[in-house]
Amino acid sequence: MTDISPLQVRAVTKRYGAVTALRDVSVDFFHGQVVGLIGDNGAGKSTLVKILAGTQRPDDGHLIVNGEPTTFHAASDAHAAGIETVFQTLSLVPTLSVVENVYLARERIVGRPWSWLRRLDKAGMLREASDKFEQLGLRLPSLTARVSGLSGGQRQAVAIARGALWGRRILILDEPTAALGVRQSEAVLSLIDTLKTQGFTVILVTHNMEHVARACDRVVVLRLGRKVADASMEEVDKMTLVGMMTGAYE
Amino acid sequence: MSRLLSGPLARLGASWRPDRAQKAIDAAQQSGLAAALVVMGAYFAVSAPRFLDGANLVVILLQVAVIGIIAVPGAMLILSGYIDLSVGSVAGLAGVVFGGLAAGPMPWGLAFVIALGVGLAWGLIQGALIAYGNFSALIVTLGGLTGARGLATLIQGVNVKQGFGNGFGFLGDGSILGVRTPVMLLGVVLALGVYVWHFMPVGRHMKAIGADKDAAFANGVAVRRIPWVLYMVSGLCAALGGLILTSQIDSATAATGTQMEIQVLTAILLGGVSFQGGRGTMAGVVIGILFIGVLDNGLVLLNIGPYYADIATGAALVLAAALDAFYKRIESLPAGMPGDEPEAGGPAAHEATPALDARSES
Repeated sequence: MTDISPLQVRAVTKRYGAVTALRDVSVDFFHGQVVGLIGDNGAGKSTLVKILAGTQRPDDGHLIVNGEPTTFHAASDAHAAGIETVFQTLSLVPTLSVVENVYLARERIVGRPWSWLRRLDKAGMLREASDKFEQLGLRLPSLTARVSGLSGGQRQAVAIARGALWGRRILILDEPTAALGVRQSEAVLSLIDTLKTQGFTVILVTHNMEHVARACDRVVVLRLGRKVADASMEEVDKMTLVGMMTGAYE
Repeated sequence: MSRLLSGPLARLGASWRPDRAQKAIDAAQQSGLAAALVVMGAYFAVSAPRFLDGANLVVILLQVAVIGIIAVPGAMLILSGYIDLSVGSVAGLAGVVFGGLAAGPMPWGLAFVIALGVGLAWGLIQGALIAYGNFSALIVTLGGLTGARGLATLIQGVNVKQGFGNGFGFLGDGSILGVRTPVMLLGVVLALGVYVWHFMPVGRHMKAIGADKDAAFANGVAVRRIPWVLYMVSGLCAALGGLILTSQIDSATAATGTQMEIQVLTAILLGGVSFQGGRGTMAGVVIGILFIGVLDNGLVLLNIGPYYADIATGAALVLAAALDAFYKRIESLPAGMPGDEPEAGGPAAHEATPALDARSES
């Protein structure tokens, strides 16, 4: 992985009052890599995710997107840079269908402005979403079924697929397996494999060491707001990671 | 590729089609009420011979025109998880504002526009308090219900203004292309409603706000501006309704539109729009409007006294609540998909789905 990094974090610090949530953290992300972002509660994972998602701004430091120094001021800035974040809450609307959720607030319209024919491009959106779901190897009973009828794993898959549909380069998954059982978690991890082969950079935030070992190429460990490790998966084992998370190796 | 989700997801395939099941529920909601409408119509047709007269059917449409015009934005508010109880009083307020101005030297057209503007402004203020100030919709518009009626009575004064001329009379009693003006206006509002609800992004956005405001916001839906605008449209339509009623009786009384909010709400809820927000169709609202019209008209023809009409409307409202609970019950049934039972190894899996469903009901 020697090509240009699509996303770099440079010396980012974030304070909340007297608490320093992130202290001088720098990370480089690369194309087609799955990076595990791990750490104990309060390590700064969520803060880093929020900065990458554009919902929080760093106090010091900045991001570099495709070589350009930048800071995201809003979620739309992150979206414009090709970064999509799937938060734990998923943000799916239960009474809307899968395809309606995928296009929520980004609906496609046919017809010229102010023309009587101007309306939702329902067929086009369904076709495009079906293609994308197929590319990702996702098979749902129906894309026109309401999300309220889907299982937790299916909802997670829909949320990730939505991110993949809109994100061009980077997908951040915040604890995607936290609420899932074993089989459903495996389905989500397989989806991450597929995303990787399609060139996505995936940032996987998780507590689960098994899932890091199963899905990630690289792991970044945060502890008390500092980066304490950044290594390829071949170089570390689970015990070491747990030790670094808890501070036993300091 | 297909190895992905070869576990739970792939096996859901062929047999169970949740989209079809949901469409069947949607259809049942509308056709069930439509069937009830037909049964009720048949009963009235038998027991009140004049019910099926062409003239009487026009009367029914005229009676529901005002309720319908107000129910379209009202249904969109309920769909978005909001409510406007002030519509009947705003109708009365618009009527007396018009009456007061048109009785003076002002041309009736200008008075008409100002009266509509009062309705719009009323909605603008209520909507701003509710959408941007996070005030309770129920309480603010309950205040509006009382306040607007009081204001209307104050403006009306001792002498009820009447006699506004043929121009204004056209609004309530005229015809456009052979269709009575209020019915024509109802048609226009319904057509716009269908377009906005089912063919524009904002229709989905309203549903999303009603079902899960946080998720809607996270996706970039304008969770404040949409209900704000809907309150303005609701105020505008309430004022238009009040002016139609004022035109029909050619006198501007502060009592115009009294208790209309109850009939509007009953039509909307009978039509299958969920009181919790997030579910409903325009077709259902149309059937709900007709249901209220036929019920009122039939009871009048049976000549059993005005109290029974109120009792029947109350019963219809309770019926609407029962239907709402029933639909919700059906929808919250686990889709029962084969091969997707919760796993023994994952206790969290049991919690995941109810947690998500719970959000939909808040």
